[in-house]
Amino acid sequence: MSETILDVQHLTHQFRLTKHTTIRAVDDVSFQLQRGEIFGLVGESGSGKSTVARCIMNLYRPAGGRIFYRGVNVCDPKQYRMHKNMLQTTRQMIFQDSTSSLNQRMTVADIIMEPMAINHIAPPGGSLRAEAERQLHDVGMDASYLNKYPPELSGGMRQRVAIARALSMEPDFIVADEPIASLDVSIQAQIINLFKHLQAEHGFTFLFIAHDLAVVKYLCDRVGVMCHGKLVEIAPAAELFAHPAHPYTKLLLSAVPIPDPRLERARVLQTFDPSDLQDTGEMREICRDHFARMPVEGVPH
Amino acid sequence: MDDQGFACAGIRPLSHGPAPQKQRWYRGKPIVSILLLAGIILGCLFCNAFIPKDPTYMDLFHYDEAPGREFLFGTDAMGRDIFSIVWYGGRLSLLIGFSATAISTAIAVVFGAVSGLAPRWLDAVLMRLTEILLSVPNLLIIILIQAILGKPNVLSISFAIGITSWTGIAKIVRTEVRQMRSSEYVLAARCMGGGFFHILWRHLMPNFISSIMFMVVMNVRNAIAAESTLSFMGIGLPWEVISWGSMLSLSEKALLSGSWWMILIPGLFLVVTLLCVTNIGNWLRKQTNCRQSNL
Repeated sequence: MSETILDVQHLTHQFRLTKHTTIRAVDDVSFQLQRGEIFGLVGESGSGKSTVARCIMNLYRPAGGRIFYRGVNVCDPKQYRMHKNMLQTTRQMIFQDSTSSLNQRMTVADIIMEPMAINHIAPPGGSLRAEAERQLHDVGMDASYLNKYPPELSGGMRQRVAIARALSMEPDFIVADEPIASLDVSIQAQIINLFKHLQAEHGFTFLFIAHDLAVVKYLCDRVGVMCHGKLVEIAPAAELFAHPAHPYTKLLLSAVPIPDPRLERARVLQTFDPSDLQDTGEMREICRDHFARMPVEGVPH
Repeated sequence: MDDQGFACAGIRPLSHGPAPQKQRWYRGKPIVSILLLAGIILGCLFCNAFIPKDPTYMDLFHYDEAPGREFLFGTDAMGRDIFSIVWYGGRLSLLIGFSATAISTAIAVVFGAVSGLAPRWLDAVLMRLTEILLSVPNLLIIILIQAILGKPNVLSISFAIGITSWTGIAKIVRTEVRQMRSSEYVLAARCMGGGFFHILWRHLMPNFISSIMFMVVMNVRNAIAAESTLSFMGIGLPWEVISWGSMLSLSEKALLSGSWWMILIPGLFLVVTLLCVTNIGNWLRKQTNCRQSNL
């Protein structure tokens, strides 16, 4: 039943700072997404999560590797041009900061209608405006917001508008680049529940990027852990949180605060030396669907 | 009791002091300039309704006459009624001013946006190109283009003025676009498949229009002044095509014969228009500065 919708193979990307220094932001990352699943990508700031997302959305041209979306290699300019319309209508992206991802000189209605207007989609709700109203209603806002400008809305409302804009195309695949990082905790919970609800309703495939492990555990079916541009572990969410295999994953999990003060006092922060990553390693299957990056010889403890 | 309510709910009851005085709508706006400019523009547009004489008719019995009852502003050396031709000629001057500005603004916006969105090397090439153009005196290029285009008419003059006065605006547009191009709403529009002109029109333009407004308005002024300068020097519109500039071009003879009205009347119209436009432009600039500091 599962069908691979996105296949990232050996993706590598580097940024050139000056003539002599380059930074390898993404280094040999491979993973697959099945249709209809929520895949979480976690890691600390600067570990290359956003770069992966932007490569997938064709905002950066990767230095190496291939990305297949529905069998189309999106990194190949020729194939990209051939399937441009399909790629632009079925993939959508939600950005981290809604203050800058919404043009503050456009009304909410214009923002939500924009992707439909660009791609000349006949809206199912009759007029574009009626469709915008329906999408806005789906994310829990009423029609009175249609004529407002983004600076008049709160952060949570703005992020809802951004979600409505992405959903207005009825996409098959959504990339959300830390969509909740700029919100406060109570609003985060609302937005996460909204995502869960919308995903159940529309059934889109969802690549969710976050650095908050609790959120990922709650929302995602499978999780990938990134560290210094490398993907170090992929596993189903429950499996990853129960039996982390890679030392970096253990460090991340041990850094999560525990609500119970007695347990919290007993919490020991794991250590991890990032230079361990420099030597060659490969992804090994530890148990079913659980992969971790291990040194070539031997499994650590 | 009121204070108790405040302590509980944290909401202070409104004090019923005197209502704040209503701001008058014209406060801080250049009303005199707007009214004068509107008067001149409307007067020029609808001059047929009130001018007493045919502006092209040369009354050979009444040339060089001082302002009087029949000829309100006097007549020029060819017997044309100055009151009639000053309104009639204003049309052409304003037309040249606005069309030259439209041409230069269109070039500047597209050029600036291309340069702002281009990769670094192309941006450098385009900007050095504008700087080369910027370093050559405008009048020199206008004369050169006029020479290529042949006998000057309204269109060719607007074109020549427009094509030489876009560099300043283009540099501002380029800087603004450079700042905006990596912002996430531009990326989002690119993800949706928006093309260059869609992004320029919907996302970039509304955000930089306020910062170039002042320059655009000043361009109207410069274009009107450039046309007058050219005509005064005798390389602009010929004297039988009536504009403020071509009227002034006749004034060198008037200076010798002491007929002050031939210079003063069209000159007054020109100076008043330019002053009004400058004043409005300055107000626009202050407006945008205020708004940016409020954000």
